[in-house]
Amino acid sequence: MRRLLPSALGLLLSASLALTPAQETRAQHLGSNLRCPICTGVPITESPNDISREMLREVREQVAAGRSDRDIYAYFAARYGNFVLLDPPKEGAGVLLWGAPLAALAAGGAVLWGFLHRKRSAQEEAAPPTADEPFDPYLAEVQRRTRRAGSGEGGGA
Amino acid sequence: MTEIPSPSNSSVPAPLWRRLLPPLLAAALVAVLGVALLSPSRNATDGGPLVGKPAPQFTLTSLDGTKVSLASLKGRPVVLNFWASWCGPCREEAPLFRELSTRQGGGQGLAVVGILFQETKEQNARDFIREYALAYPSLRDPGIQTGINYGVQGIPETFFIDQSGVVQHVDRGGLTRERLNAGLAKIGVAGL
Repeated sequence: MRRLLPSALGLLLSASLALTPAQETRAQHLGSNLRCPICTGVPITESPNDISREMLREVREQVAAGRSDRDIYAYFAARYGNFVLLDPPKEGAGVLLWGAPLAALAAGGAVLWGFLHRKRSAQEEAAPPTADEPFDPYLAEVQRRTRRAGSGEGGGA
Repeated sequence: MTEIPSPSNSSVPAPLWRRLLPPLLAAALVAVLGVALLSPSRNATDGGPLVGKPAPQFTLTSLDGTKVSLASLKGRPVVLNFWASWCGPCREEAPLFRELSTRQGGGQGLAVVGILFQETKEQNARDFIREYALAYPSLRDPGIQTGINYGVQGIPETFFIDQSGVVQHVDRGGLTRERLNAGLAKIGVAGL
């Protein structure tokens, strides 16, 4: 029934206004993105009430008049606000909505890359001094003792 | 007792801004969510995209057959009320409109106009008008053309249009005296 309703409505309306099949699909597509203003989250193509029917008729009239998708959405948004659009426009505050997850992903990736990069370069930096420094027996002795003192329980020799 | 030198902490403490960054980010996120949850934008009874814009024109026929157009009311502040007889809140606010309609002048001053929204039976609307003795025209809106033009979402919905034809205030839902007066003040009409 839910699936049949839009096509049945379309058929009913096409009697009053002649649209080519391409125009009809366009009108249905536009309608499926317009929220019925008195229902909860249902597009006008799926609600059988008067206002949805009249809004769909308006869409079809504007499609027949050759107006662009953008113009038709703008027409309804000017009257009902962006709330009427089920797919919010990717402009203004909508940019934030669409862009924030992507920006967060990019920022997270950058932080992770920086973290891994720093770790690797730290390892690379730590290794060379032991190899490059000339062997100093006194320093080696001190290092051995302090290491033992540090790890052993109260081993202050 | 021998003092054991504690192994020196090799990692330098991170700069202040870096230590503060995570809690600040978390606090900002919570603040944004809080503001979004508490802001009443969608539940607000007033405002809307038409506020500050010229009121959409219409020419409609009243239930008693006279033609009324917005253009013919030019120069007068207009209170435009979308209603229907089956709507409960419309019934509750009707006495206010009865009171308001006694204020409208003959050829100038305030004009009160009703527009029927999805009225299923005209006779019910006539009975409603008689019951509340509404002394202003209520217009038929075939095809809800005017309703859609005004972006009506549900009724009652009241538009306050100033003398120059600009929508100054919109109120959704049944009006109280305070809310009606708030709208009237915006179009320069003394409150009830």
